[in-house]
Amino acid sequence: MSSGYTLVICEKPDAARRVSDALSEGESRNEQVEGTTVFRFDRKGEEFVVCAAQGHLYGVSDPARERTVYPVFDVEWYSSDLVDENSTTAARRILTIRKLASGASKFVNACDFDVEGETIGYNLLKYACGGKEKIALRATFSTLTKEDLVKAFDDLKPQAGQGLGLAGRARHAIDFIWGVNLSRALSQSALGSGHRYRTISVGRVQGPTLGFLVEKEREIKTFVPVPYWKASGTFERDGVRLIAGYAKDRVETRESAEKIREECLRREAVAAAMRRFTVQVGPPVPFNIGDLQKEAYRAFGYPPSRTLQIAERLYLEALISYPRTGGQRLPPSINYRGIIQGLGRITEYSANAAELLKEELKPVQGAKSDAAHPAIHPTGEKPKRPLQAPESAVFDLVVRRFLAAFGPSARRELAEATLAVGEHEFKLAGGRTVFPGWMKYYGRYAGYKDIGVPAVSEGDRFRVVGVALDEKFEQRPLRYNQSSLLEKMEREGIGTKATRADIIATIVGRGYVSAESMEVTDLGLSVVETMAQYAPSIISTELTREIEDKLEAVEGGSGDQAELLRETLRSIVEQLAELRTNEETIGREIDSAVTASMTKSFELGKCPFCRTGNLRVIRSKATKKRFVGCSNYSSGCRASAPLPQKGTLRTAPKPCELCSWPIVYVMGGRRPWRLCVNPNCPGKRKP
Amino acid sequence: MKCLICGRETVTDLCRYHAEAKQKVRAAYPLWVKAYGNVEWNDFLDNVKRNPQTGQWAKEIAELLRG
Repeated sequence: MSSGYTLVICEKPDAARRVSDALSEGESRNEQVEGTTVFRFDRKGEEFVVCAAQGHLYGVSDPARERTVYPVFDVEWYSSDLVDENSTTAARRILTIRKLASGASKFVNACDFDVEGETIGYNLLKYACGGKEKIALRATFSTLTKEDLVKAFDDLKPQAGQGLGLAGRARHAIDFIWGVNLSRALSQSALGSGHRYRTISVGRVQGPTLGFLVEKEREIKTFVPVPYWKASGTFERDGVRLIAGYAKDRVETRESAEKIREECLRREAVAAAMRRFTVQVGPPVPFNIGDLQKEAYRAFGYPPSRTLQIAERLYLEALISYPRTGGQRLPPSINYRGIIQGLGRITEYSANAAELLKEELKPVQGAKSDAAHPAIHPTGEKPKRPLQAPESAVFDLVVRRFLAAFGPSARRELAEATLAVGEHEFKLAGGRTVFPGWMKYYGRYAGYKDIGVPAVSEGDRFRVVGVALDEKFEQRPLRYNQSSLLEKMEREGIGTKATRADIIATIVGRGYVSAESMEVTDLGLSVVETMAQYAPSIISTELTREIEDKLEAVEGGSGDQAELLRETLRSIVEQLAELRTNEETIGREIDSAVTASMTKSFELGKCPFCRTGNLRVIRSKATKKRFVGCSNYSSGCRASAPLPQKGTLRTAPKPCELCSWPIVYVMGGRRPWRLCVNPNCPGKRKP
Repeated sequence: MKCLICGRETVTDLCRYHAEAKQKVRAAYPLWVKAYGNVEWNDFLDNVKRNPQTGQWAKEIAELLRG
């Protein structure tokens, strides 16, 4: 028997604590190793030490690390603190793991079982532990409950997830090479035309995603509405009036609309038999991460990245299963009955749980499966602390969706009646839920409304009291919001469930779209137009999707990551050559867009004093502090106001209703802070 | 050369966005004539400009064409 201990590597400190609590029966000892907390305990006669990464401790970079140099094809893995200034603890944690590895005889990778987790574990075993990636065992689990963790450690697997690790490393290398070369090419072009340095990034998935936004923006801004008419009739019988819409939803010309009115007025309408029928509405399928993000946006307005963060917190507290899953299936192995019994101990769900437990438990299953993880589901554990409102909301949504999956189909009774006036038909339609089924468990998220239809019998005669003609215009397309953009990315097969939300956040952060409305800025337009002209493959969905497919093949063990890397390099070389040739023109175009976007970002809105100037954010040369001043200062306008000195400012679309001064959102804390910049705004006066 | 409306670099008098908007404004006119039975070109432009559903670039084109 070897003399060393088993070193367990987890992805996050909270996960490490849960693993040690589960395996040690609460008997683990905390120790500080190189300033990092680790857990030591004995289990079945073996000594274990559990330590944690903090996300990625290694990142890809080019050896030269000179941001003005491109092309870059030579990449290496470095400690994250060397490649990312925000990664402050990587070096210390790597030192801890290196020290612990020297005394270990067995190694277990217990990071999250997906591409990113496998990459984190693989890199630590390879670099910090000195080439232990091939002999390490793998613990695979989908929840951090004691039961699942004990099961995972009783069934450690050799080499599980190797394909995921290789694909993860290949993805990081490809994305780095792609992003660094194109971003440097664009940034350098802008710099060459005289502008100060500004990062202009185009990632492998970011490019096509920005392309979707620009395509929509062009549709919206060039939209010309065409008129049409909607007709509806008011009918009366025995003193009772009812309104019915014209059967044809859209009448194309005013002449046709007026003809309908002319031919119906002062005539009699005859009712055809009312058609009543019942439809079955099946329960919604269990959540994968994309579905959860969309539903949380619909129900609470949370952006996808926020939902993911909340879901990860709930996972680390063992309240829900691993959220970064593409699967919509709930296998029996998760123990349906046990989870529902657990939920029954939470007051809000006890009645629903008791009801479901009386029946055989068979959930509805979605079409998408994930080899590593089931659909997102509650673990059945009760929160051990009062959850914050957003956590509570997402937890409730996950629990109710899970319970709803076991509910029977709902039944809705739909009713339709037709009132005929000569050749013209008017329709009455409505519906109500006659058996709630799963809707009872899904609660307010089910979203079906009852719309009553008056009782009408065949042959009933009504007097036509009036025909209203409503002139309408086609509606311009809606912009993507963060949820519908995520859906589009999913549909187009670009990005991964783990990265899509971050890519959207980067697009917002770079100033390519406005955070509030997702309206594409001049800079966003310019980047896409430049790419479309000089390097069209970069924003094409096809190339990105093709690479995703090949990465998936590597994950599954059938693809060759070295060949994929070579292919990607070849396509980047071609695009870069084109960009280099046109560097000067590209620089001019981007430079003018950068200038326009910077000017806009400092303009707050019309000056309510002089009404001709614009209020702007100005920085004092003397004090270096920022304040609001009018662009007509030189013509005598003295409108000015102080501003908070910390936080990014974003202008609200509408000025203050009380004083007409601009409203700004001050970003930087946990939540944006809404502020009318007028210090004398009536809204600020104390009563 | 710069776009007459927005000042973007272009090879003709309008940038690609405003050129696209112009083509859509022109394409919409016969549809408005059909819908209303008759509508003067200038009235059409005034209405397009005022309509809240019209896109920003299309409004700018209507303004330019109205003169």
